[in-house]
Amino acid sequence: MASPLVKRTSRDIAAVVVVALFMFPLFWWALTSFKPTSAIFDKDRVVFFDFAPTLINYAVTLLGKSRAELAIDSGDTFGVGGVSSYDSHQTIIDSIIVAVGSTILTIAISIIAAYALSRIRFRGQQAYLNWILSQRFMPPIAIIVPVVFMFHYLGLRDTRLGLVLIDTLINLPVAVLLMKSFFDDVPVEVDEAAMIDGATRFQIFRKVVLPLVTGGVAATAVLCFIFAWTEFLLSLFLTNSIRTLPVKISTFVTSTGSEWGFISALGTSAVVPSFIFILLVQKQLVRGLTLGSLKE
Amino acid sequence: MSQAAAVSGASRGFVLPRFLRSEHPFPWLFPITAVLLVFGIYPLLYAVWLSLHKRNPVTRVSLFDPAWNWTKVFADERVWGAIGHTFLYTMVALAIELVLGLLIALLLDSDRKGYGFLRALMTLPLVVPPAVTGMMFLLMLDGSFGVLSRSLYATGLWSPEHPILATASSALFGILLADVWQWTPFMVLIMMAGLRALPKEPYEAAAIDGATAVQTFFKLTLPMLSKIIAIAVLIRGVDLFRVYDYIKVMTEGGPGTATETLTAYAGTIYFKNADFPYASTIALLTLILVIVTSSLFIKLFKVKF
Repeated sequence: MASPLVKRTSRDIAAVVVVALFMFPLFWWALTSFKPTSAIFDKDRVVFFDFAPTLINYAVTLLGKSRAELAIDSGDTFGVGGVSSYDSHQTIIDSIIVAVGSTILTIAISIIAAYALSRIRFRGQQAYLNWILSQRFMPPIAIIVPVVFMFHYLGLRDTRLGLVLIDTLINLPVAVLLMKSFFDDVPVEVDEAAMIDGATRFQIFRKVVLPLVTGGVAATAVLCFIFAWTEFLLSLFLTNSIRTLPVKISTFVTSTGSEWGFISALGTSAVVPSFIFILLVQKQLVRGLTLGSLKE
Repeated sequence: MSQAAAVSGASRGFVLPRFLRSEHPFPWLFPITAVLLVFGIYPLLYAVWLSLHKRNPVTRVSLFDPAWNWTKVFADERVWGAIGHTFLYTMVALAIELVLGLLIALLLDSDRKGYGFLRALMTLPLVVPPAVTGMMFLLMLDGSFGVLSRSLYATGLWSPEHPILATASSALFGILLADVWQWTPFMVLIMMAGLRALPKEPYEAAAIDGATAVQTFFKLTLPMLSKIIAIAVLIRGVDLFRVYDYIKVMTEGGPGTATETLTAYAGTIYFKNADFPYASTIALLTLILVIVTSSLFIKLFKVKF
């Protein structure tokens, strides 16, 4: 039997190696975003660190600088050419509007529904909950074609409002089940005490219970934001000119070649906000991923 | 206070009907029900209605012909291929992610210094937009300059003549790699929460009886985790079944139709053929398969949320 120290050290090494393996794609992605084109497409060797780092990929995608001008300024004209539709600062603004808008709408609708589902008993409650749960499991592809028609008819196609509404639809089931689990954590005695004092249900909700679940609201909001931020299929079907980041990035892959420098720069930018947010809600993550059924 | 409110309401000659008062669930549940009905259920019924129409590609007119798409869908070899790919993808990904997730959860479940940081790092892949994940692996698996492809070539495990994503027999596994990278952390997190919640006493008893670590795992840990595993498998399984993002950005269903899943095929019919009724039919078939498979699973494993 190996000594405890050997055992412990080998476990530490295994843990670090496993996590490092999972971090490698992110590292490679970020590294690529600082590479000049010549280093990305090197067919003779894999370039790790021996390249001259550049911010040209960020300047083109985030600031809308022209690639040709930047290339002439820096003297590196390898692979210059092609259309200049890589300016993505509008895409970033649109993505933020859509994600924030749908988060606010989702939270507003889901917290009142979740409170009622947690506190008021009514006939068919379990069936109603199951119905909401079933919506979470509906593949978006099943509804997208009619939604495109419907949005076209209502003038919502290719608009930010349309994306806000559809992201809200997708997020609502998760948000309401998650919020219900947070309300369930608050003892009913809190409501009963307020009720004896003569408060109405709505007053209890707003003045008494809601202040007790602000942490839960924040966690739910973060998860809604991330879902909306990363959503791809619905945005792809519903938009042509207004694009969210994941869809915009996918248009950089063309049959004549992919602009990996721009793709990785924009991709890295798209990932950073999610990372910051997710580190804020580590404690509630498991609950969010299991629709409130599992608490840590 | 409520009495006072009722009195003042009555004095204005206006009393809210009972179902509009906050004691009744109706006003609370109305907004969410309305959104889910208008943007969820109505489109679903509309999709069913669409699937009962035959679209003429020349005149672009859809005529009511209820049997057309549904007979076509079962005679379509690409549909059967897509069903096969979808099930293969779902099963393989589920198996790998579950086993890897459980192993990594056991590995990282420690209170010692540094492990909290490792666990936090492990959650990062979860929030990368799946389309971006697809891009990452597309770059790394590129046949000529991708870092993963070249590492495989260097070790002699893979021949440069058959780029992973451009070869029919391996392309689906290239996509699976992206899925496994992104969603194994999902399993890790859930399993870790499950492990944390386990009672201590059975383990003390097992230790006294001299059980080995492997015995303890299979006799104690696994059975006690089964409920959580069932929930995780259900949620992940349903999401896997509708996989689209990775396939769209990595292979577009190709080479040929080697990586075409049901959702990807419906997307192709929509974008390339503009045959909206047929695209809806395939999408509904996907939904039906999800419902049947997940209901069976819920019955079989008695999943309870």
